[in-house]
Amino acid sequence: MSKGKIVSIHSFRGGTGKSNTTANLAAQAALAGKRVGIVDTDIQSPGIHVLFGLDENKMGKTLNDFLHGKCAIREVALNIGEHAFDAEGRSKLKGKDIWLLPSSIRGREISQIIREGYDVNRLNEGFQTIIKDLNLDYLFIDTHPGLNEETLLSIAISDILIIILRPDSQDFQGTAVTVDIARSLDIPNLILMANKAVPKYDFADIKKQIEETYHAPVAGVLPLSFDLADNASKDLFSLRFPDHEWSKALRGVANAILAVK
Amino acid sequence: MPGLFDRLQKEIENKQGEGGITALDLADLPPALRKIMRLMLRELELNYPQLKEAIASLPDAERLPMNEVDEALDVLTRQAWLIRIGAGEKAIYKVNLRRKAGSTVASGIWNTLDSKLKK
Repeated sequence: MSKGKIVSIHSFRGGTGKSNTTANLAAQAALAGKRVGIVDTDIQSPGIHVLFGLDENKMGKTLNDFLHGKCAIREVALNIGEHAFDAEGRSKLKGKDIWLLPSSIRGREISQIIREGYDVNRLNEGFQTIIKDLNLDYLFIDTHPGLNEETLLSIAISDILIIILRPDSQDFQGTAVTVDIARSLDIPNLILMANKAVPKYDFADIKKQIEETYHAPVAGVLPLSFDLADNASKDLFSLRFPDHEWSKALRGVANAILAVK
Repeated sequence: MPGLFDRLQKEIENKQGEGGITALDLADLPPALRKIMRLMLRELELNYPQLKEAIASLPDAERLPMNEVDEALDVLTRQAWLIRIGAGEKAIYKVNLRRKAGSTVASGIWNTLDSKLKK
């Protein structure tokens, strides 16, 4: 197989902090000296670009352009290490090898792709080509919550699948569906992460409960944090506040990813 | 006059139009076929010698006998889940993923939406 590892980040339900987590995990991998790409496959509701300080005007080519055959995948990759110095956290990525491949946030382009569909072969070719073109160690794929074509494809081709859930009954049931699919697709490394855990509970108990339910390792239980909410996706929280409990727990998840051989 | 590359590309596009596999189909495949398809998805395309080499490099427990591999390749190609260009040792294989379908909502609704969205 190709050298670079594909890390898909998924949650069955929305609102788990998936994009925030993906951006921070990718940033931690880049800080560790890895060559990292991030693809936003949440084509219907893209958002991860915000964490890297991008808006419609700062974005160049997007994944939508690539899927419509208007450009090569390499043209979509924006070098964050060269651009994102406008916030305290992001500035720590200066000179690092980290690229973002955003989805379009233009209404017409989103509606076009929903209306017309797209060639899923081309999406997969884009993933594999960018790993080779940029000689990536890791390609992080931020997925749409729930299950659809791009999400299932990203799960199917993953070396590592991170499933995020909140300690919540609805998340528990939905996560079981994704875990079943991941197992039936022989995903080599399945890692769970709990986010937005209420601090009054015992995190060790939460970890034990999730591991017993899914028979998969939990790499971190991250607290529900008003500080993180206050950050409002304006910056990469774990880089800006590295000593915060959320950031420490996130680094545990990042270390679990980096430890996979 | 179209060149060799153009003709091969046309052949691939024609075969891709015949259907294809979804990720959920992958989950339903027998383990041996699933391993081949996952490998193909990661490598995009493999010629037959590369495929044999890749199979040989799998851990003992996962390695497949070549007669089973050949049988699997035939089955997958017949189902249009795998595209085969050429034959024998020179054959090149490529996964054929099914196109994501567009919305079935009436086109008038999309046209109205587009007229209200800026370009």
